[in-house]
Amino acid sequence: MSLSADSIVALSTPPGRGGIGVIRVSGPDALAVLRRMTGDASKGEPTPNYMTLRPIIDPRTGDTLDQALVCFFQAPHSFTGEDVVEFHCHGSPVLLRRILDTILQLDVRLASPGEFSLRAVMNGRMQLTQAEAIRDLIDAQTDVAAQQATRQLSGEISHRLQPAKDQLLRIIVRLESSLEFVEDDLPQLEQHEILSALGGLRSDLGSLADTFVRGRLLHEGLKMALVGRPNAGKSSLFNSLLGHERAIVTEVPGTTRDTISEPVGWDGIPITLIDTAGMRATTDQVELLGVERTRRAAADADLIVIVVDGSQPLTAEDQLVLDDASGKRHVVAVNKSDLPNFSPQRVGDVIGQPTAVAVSALTQEGIAQLRAAMLKPFVNGNGAAEGLMITNARHHDLLVRTIDAVASSETLIHERASEEIILVGLHQALEFLGEITGETTTEEILGQIFSTFCIGK
Amino acid sequence: MVFDEIFDVIVIGGGHAGCEAASAAARLGANTALLTLNLDLIGQMSCNPAIGGIGKGHLVREIDALGGIMGRVIDRTGIQFRLLNRSRGPAVQAPRAQADRTLYRVEMRRTLEATPNLSLRQGLVTDLLVRGDRIVGVELQDARRLAAKAVIVATGTFLNGKIHTGRRTYAGGRTGEPASTELPQALRRLGFPVGRLKTGTPPRLDGRTIDWDTFEPQPPDERPVPFSFSTDAIQQDQLNCFLAYTNEPLHQKIRDNLHESPLYSGAIKGVGPRYCPSIEDKVVKFPEKSRHQLFVEPEGFNTNEVYLNGLSTSLPAQLQQELVNLIPGMDEAQIIRPGYAIEYDFVDPKELTPFLETARCKGLFLAGQINGTTGYEEAACQGLIAGINAGLTTTGRAPFRTHREESYIGVLIDDLITQGVDEPYRMFTSRSEHRLSLRYDNADERLEPKGRELGLVGDTEWDRFNQRRERLARIRGLFASKKIRRSDAAHDHLRRVTGQEIGDAIRLGQLALRPNMTVEVITGLLDQEERVDLQVRDIETALADYLYAGYLDSQNQTSRRLRQHDMLSIPENLSFRAVGSLSHEMVERLERVKPRNFGDARKIPGLTPAALSNLLVYLTAQQSNARTLGA
Repeated sequence: MSLSADSIVALSTPPGRGGIGVIRVSGPDALAVLRRMTGDASKGEPTPNYMTLRPIIDPRTGDTLDQALVCFFQAPHSFTGEDVVEFHCHGSPVLLRRILDTILQLDVRLASPGEFSLRAVMNGRMQLTQAEAIRDLIDAQTDVAAQQATRQLSGEISHRLQPAKDQLLRIIVRLESSLEFVEDDLPQLEQHEILSALGGLRSDLGSLADTFVRGRLLHEGLKMALVGRPNAGKSSLFNSLLGHERAIVTEVPGTTRDTISEPVGWDGIPITLIDTAGMRATTDQVELLGVERTRRAAADADLIVIVVDGSQPLTAEDQLVLDDASGKRHVVAVNKSDLPNFSPQRVGDVIGQPTAVAVSALTQEGIAQLRAAMLKPFVNGNGAAEGLMITNARHHDLLVRTIDAVASSETLIHERASEEIILVGLHQALEFLGEITGETTTEEILGQIFSTFCIGK
Repeated sequence: MVFDEIFDVIVIGGGHAGCEAASAAARLGANTALLTLNLDLIGQMSCNPAIGGIGKGHLVREIDALGGIMGRVIDRTGIQFRLLNRSRGPAVQAPRAQADRTLYRVEMRRTLEATPNLSLRQGLVTDLLVRGDRIVGVELQDARRLAAKAVIVATGTFLNGKIHTGRRTYAGGRTGEPASTELPQALRRLGFPVGRLKTGTPPRLDGRTIDWDTFEPQPPDERPVPFSFSTDAIQQDQLNCFLAYTNEPLHQKIRDNLHESPLYSGAIKGVGPRYCPSIEDKVVKFPEKSRHQLFVEPEGFNTNEVYLNGLSTSLPAQLQQELVNLIPGMDEAQIIRPGYAIEYDFVDPKELTPFLETARCKGLFLAGQINGTTGYEEAACQGLIAGINAGLTTTGRAPFRTHREESYIGVLIDDLITQGVDEPYRMFTSRSEHRLSLRYDNADERLEPKGRELGLVGDTEWDRFNQRRERLARIRGLFASKKIRRSDAAHDHLRRVTGQEIGDAIRLGQLALRPNMTVEVITGLLDQEERVDLQVRDIETALADYLYAGYLDSQNQTSRRLRQHDMLSIPENLSFRAVGSLSHEMVERLERVKPRNFGDARKIPGLTPAALSNLLVYLTAQQSNARTLGA
């Protein structure tokens, strides 16, 4: 049985938050991926089937992304029968996404639904001697498909991509005709026209691909936790952000002893807003438990909102919270702007935080600005994007590949390469798009040629 | 059954498929007969007197490398050779030649008559003789019966051929020749699905009545590039062709008389090739074009007959005359043979194995237009493959095929047998996923060892090939190792030629990717000793290898990924409902087409990637299941 030519990667644990998240790579490049992601330059093979704790490193920047247990399974002794590498990372979706994105830069592509199972069957690693087993496999496949709602989604995306695909096809048709029908009286091929068409195509696909970040948020949602010292006004702010009274608010510091979650939708993005217990050194057993939960909620959040009391100097407890949040994505809400002795500058100087927002939970002043600041890191200028968004990572991967292939052809046109070379990238681009929208056959290309140009002696 | 004569292989038809088939089978040692309606018309070019072109020229080179005869015959009888696409890369260049129609025919017959084991017979086949599921021979119109273990049907447009000019229609296989009406019945009786196709041809003119000075000449190449790897140089004189154009008054006349055209009156039911449209089609479908290009092509050294390429038509003969006279320079021109359209039967090529044998009837092979193709080159390569396999199987050897990764012949046969045809199939380089590798200049490297193994490549040609292989190894070695350094005299020269910085040292192979790197420049960099015996085409091949090396991966990667499951077969009795998780619409689409393998299913329009993915998992699981149970 022949092994696959390329390597695939996917998150193998269910999407969402978990204790750990397993990213699995299968194929001939699996070992190379392991080495590059762990900064391992050694020549020897890692011991197969042994788990080792390793730093996970972005090979382009050298940044450490996580500490993870990694394991190498040597072909054919693996789930798929190919070389397989597993990264058992911390289970934060944000982190897992980042690691997955990094691996996708390494000549590995995202697996299609069911592709790991398919490879396992192909390589004889799955013994399907009973009809039930076959049905299970298909059901598993369907589940994945259902989860990603590919069927419904690809209809919409196909529709959105159709004009781009038509444009690409038109360009391919122009170039192909000039090659195949050299004796025919065809219109002159204008290089700048082709270039500008390709540029337009690339930027169109680019803006669609850019919706992925937001699309992914739409799909998976965000968690945002309000943290701060007791009585900084977290719960009041929580209620203000929600728009209704959910948390109990008193003058007594430490009223909130457990975390409270509430779903909200801002700009169509599902967000889980979390109010937490105030952070301080305490001996109260119940409050201690609450503080511990706060730490966990903070560790698990996509964004931390640090709430400080802007009417008072920063305390050691405030400093504790700020230190804890350093290195995590956060915004600072400088609360109680309604009080006469409020001084955001003082607080702002101390933390050197340009994104600090002055706000009053009491008067609602600054609430809208705070919301915008909380969303800003995620929407990336696409806040007002309308229409279809890419939510499926495979689609995003294919779009990025399409754009790269088109760009490579543009470079070749600038270098005045011959059409058959320029066309390699364009045909690749068409095939990548085809994996989303359905394939374009040679017959269709030829059909387009004959309906566009009068060909034939 | 009593037979008048006994052969191993019988080839029906003496066109371009039939000639290659008979020659190959005979040379493989099979006692072979070529049956034709008229021995004087063996190797007749029914339409355009030309061989080659983009895609088609590639096919001829491949035929030659495998030991076929077309390349050699055109090299001896071509009157105008041109290498097309010179301004583009070598993968899309290909030779083309105008032929002397008569000399080509004579040379082809001479070649066949000089072939041992090959008998020529004149006669019309009226029936295929079958015993069980095997062919055993053929019956002729004059009641003779000929026995054979294999029969190759290569009958071109003759099966139920119906000729149209204007509103007149009559039976005919070609102009002036009878149609074959009983053989198609025999094929239908055997259960073959038969359809109708159409093609056409332009009028021929009397060259003495044309004002030649009106037209722009299209000169031949100064150094003609031959088709055959065994031809050193083209010996015969070379002639000009000429360019002409249609005009608005001519278009208007066609529009005014469309009711006279069998294409537009509905008389013609068969599907014609879109890339070879009639002038009526061109005028109707592209009304914005104020003129269409025509080629005025001499038919040979010893004739005044002129082929008006581009004016294919089925309008009435008198109207054709009037149209021609509307072209400046042809005001007085006389048509000596009017153009016509012809409809003919073809057999669904999905009936065929990769060896061009029918699955329905053992020993029965089909080649050429009967399989839905158009073009002499497309026909010839099928004839060659059918002839090879008829020869191999009747002499007790294993059959032969060439794959789409290694040849255009492989692409053609694979396309035919997996997808069938909706219109006459012509080769284009874009039909291959491996265009950059399947070049006209390296057809010998790709296929000649196979031709030799089959026994079709003679000792002389094999020696030539081995010498070329040694030279190629030498020049490739130099490309990989020889460096031009700053201290070398050529360094400055290269900077000027390329217009680029060269660096301290550069290998020849790296230079190949720089601008303006011609064979002459490369040759200038070689020492006397390195240059010994090297031919221009050797350096061209090495340059081409390097030019494309960087793109082969991208070219092959996607096609391999997409196509790696294509051969996964789909059981004939599979109910697509059983696959599960397919929508009604997807099931319907699948049921309608009934794909035979995953590759077929992949090409069904409108099938979503999700549906294909489901089908793939199902098929893989089924196959693996069957294997496990069988083990």
